[in-house]
Amino acid sequence: MAPLTPYTFFQCPCSEPSTLGRPADGSSGAGAGAEPDADDEDRAFDPRAPRSNYSLYPLEYLLYCEDCQQIRCPRCVAEEIVTFYCPCCLFEVPSSNLKSEGNRCTRSCFQCPVCIGPLATTSLESHPDPNLLAAPDNSAAPHSGPYILTCSYCNWSSTEIGIKFDKSNGIHAQLAKLRNGGTTRLTAKERKERRKDLLQGGGPATRTAEAAVDGRDLDVDTQFANLKAFYQNQLADSSSGGNGLSSLGDMGFASPSSLSRIMSIYTGGSLHDKRSKLRIGTMREALDSDEGLKIANLDESGAIEKLQEEGYDATVSAEQISNQTPNLGEAPLHGRGRFTSELRPIPYLLRTKRSKRCPICRHIISKPEAKVQATRFRIRLVAGSYIPSITIRPLNTPEASPGAPSDTLQPLKPVQFLLTFKNPIFETVKVTLATPAKTPGRFASKVTVLCPQFEIDANTDVWDEALKDGDKDKRRRRGEDGPHQAEAGKIWERGRNWVSLVIEVVPASLRLDLLALTNPTGGQEVDTGPLREDEDLLEIPMFVRVEWEADAAGDEIGSAPNKDKEGREKRELAYWCVLGLGRVSQS
Amino acid sequence: MATPASTSANSSSKRHSILPPVSQAGPKPPVQFSSSITIADSALLTGSHTILAGSESVIHPRARLDSSGGRITIGRRCIVHERSIVGGNAATVTLSPSRGSKTSDTLLSPLPSSAGVTLADYVLVDVGAVIEAGDTVVGEGTTVGVGARVCAGAVVGKHCTLTPHTVVAAGDVVPDFTVIYSKGLRRRDLRGVPELRNKGQARQIEVLRRMIPSNPGKFSS
Repeated sequence: MAPLTPYTFFQCPCSEPSTLGRPADGSSGAGAGAEPDADDEDRAFDPRAPRSNYSLYPLEYLLYCEDCQQIRCPRCVAEEIVTFYCPCCLFEVPSSNLKSEGNRCTRSCFQCPVCIGPLATTSLESHPDPNLLAAPDNSAAPHSGPYILTCSYCNWSSTEIGIKFDKSNGIHAQLAKLRNGGTTRLTAKERKERRKDLLQGGGPATRTAEAAVDGRDLDVDTQFANLKAFYQNQLADSSSGGNGLSSLGDMGFASPSSLSRIMSIYTGGSLHDKRSKLRIGTMREALDSDEGLKIANLDESGAIEKLQEEGYDATVSAEQISNQTPNLGEAPLHGRGRFTSELRPIPYLLRTKRSKRCPICRHIISKPEAKVQATRFRIRLVAGSYIPSITIRPLNTPEASPGAPSDTLQPLKPVQFLLTFKNPIFETVKVTLATPAKTPGRFASKVTVLCPQFEIDANTDVWDEALKDGDKDKRRRRGEDGPHQAEAGKIWERGRNWVSLVIEVVPASLRLDLLALTNPTGGQEVDTGPLREDEDLLEIPMFVRVEWEADAAGDEIGSAPNKDKEGREKRELAYWCVLGLGRVSQS
Repeated sequence: MATPASTSANSSSKRHSILPPVSQAGPKPPVQFSSSITIADSALLTGSHTILAGSESVIHPRARLDSSGGRITIGRRCIVHERSIVGGNAATVTLSPSRGSKTSDTLLSPLPSSAGVTLADYVLVDVGAVIEAGDTVVGEGTTVGVGARVCAGAVVGKHCTLTPHTVVAAGDVVPDFTVIYSKGLRRRDLRGVPELRNKGQARQIEVLRRMIPSNPGKFSS
């Protein structure tokens, strides 16, 4: 079994039913502090409860709201996106672009479709310089000619899908116009112009010829545009011929009003028409590819042939397919590629920087610098700088065997741990600890905190402390007199801004046959099922209450004259935490 | 020929390495070097079989060539980087961080008497790579990446790329133009640029010849 290092988790108050929905403003601090005495006694926090999985965090994960004076966890804060940026080129993308162009980088940042490594743009010169490939110091020469995307890890290059670029920048836009194999694709604008030409000059003969050419490689984008244009025409026709009869026939697939309703969903209301209620009658459906009809190609002999020729190596893995972005240039119905020749470079997914707000008072508790390159934070109120951190280490008393420290705790054998509380704030804090005498769960271990009430000195300047040398000796090691021995009611050791104390634990025996004997539960049935997962883990719930005096909040501006008297106010913070001490030996 | 070298090998370098000085243990192998090779003073050559190195090959400092299993043949214009191990039996190979634990049982079995290693021309053995002995063949123009391992008896084809930390299992045959990447996935290299790569390597060797002080005389005696 892997050795377990002792850990401390803190509970965020957001999951506590008593604080749910209650605005935790400053005035309720006293109430919250009194509450554990009142009803928490019989409702001790159980770290084994399935629910507590979601509320326990290491101290580093937690934030602190100064206004509510409460711990906030990643689960309860409200996040807001500050910036979108490309992780590859570190360019900030305005959110307006995001709506029109999607959440991918639209510059030249691509990932390899085979191994998701970053792709580099390299030139493919017609007269290949013999030293081009492996000598980057030589590639400073001016490049010309076609460019390709290459992956330096798996040696994939865009020549494998038959794509070359004319320019070295704006690869995204160039790629959108290229099909795999290098044939160009009509953009939306070109398509519109072409349709206009057709409507003006094209007779039915040219129209069907065009359709036959287009039908084979009609892509998703074109098909949607064709269908949209076709239905728009149909709607125009039917509305002109509408005679305002009953809406009985309005519910069918082919009725204009349901169509316009659907179209308005997908096209953002441009087709919405109030008169649609008046229309009746049916419309014809698309008949050829120019009107958006795409006949499913059920003939897979091509794919089978390719599979026979090129084998398994030519197919893509499920992972590669799932990494592919929706490609508007692909064929509909059977668009998802099954061969490596159908892969496309993956534009980088944009990332975000987020600020975090307190869920209750809406104050910002974490806000990163908006600039992408900066890693600093404008506001970051982490819990580690407000509440005392707790570190645990086993206390090796002299009488303990000097042999190898065992990883597991021996059942029914008292063991002592040293808890060190470190005060991060600039005030002296008073800490009160409370643990249940027996840990919750089937195998109840006995817990004794030898010094449940103590004070930690302020987190003063390190140099101040060092220079006040004479004072130091008096203050330090106040807890020890003579031989070092854990003593009830006294702290173990004291430092500048830390205090350590001893907690004694008698781990429970994990023997199932002893379970009935040790738990005199009266008439209740004792659960003697086999040992469940992590039942050998010794976790101690501990209630920590921290009191300190701080300057009054700056909200009350009018109270300046008598600030000296009322400038100090009592603050209080109370929370549950869990001390994970180790695993109990099962032998 | 079997006199153990007692001199500390890195005495020529001005910068002192934090590593302990390389001490050559075991017999000094007979060598057949081309006159144009570059071999660093602190390369480690051990074993009893012949070590051949073709023209213009470069062997970096602290590269370890162990011919105790069989003859080691290094082709023309190869680069063997530092801390790589070419050849050797189980004892020497386990000195490096072993990734492919499954290969150890094949290694522990007694090797055939002529269990050599053949590197064809233009092979690049990168830093910390291991090519085990046992009639292992690495084909022309193949790149063996950082920390990669070609186990005993494997035959790697021409112009392959083994990305860092890949393991080619013992006795495996890797076809020409194969890229092994991402925990053993394989694909074909369709770039078709073996000549370019070889020319690039030739240029790299030109630079390395100037940078690495060569001392082939130390090994041929």
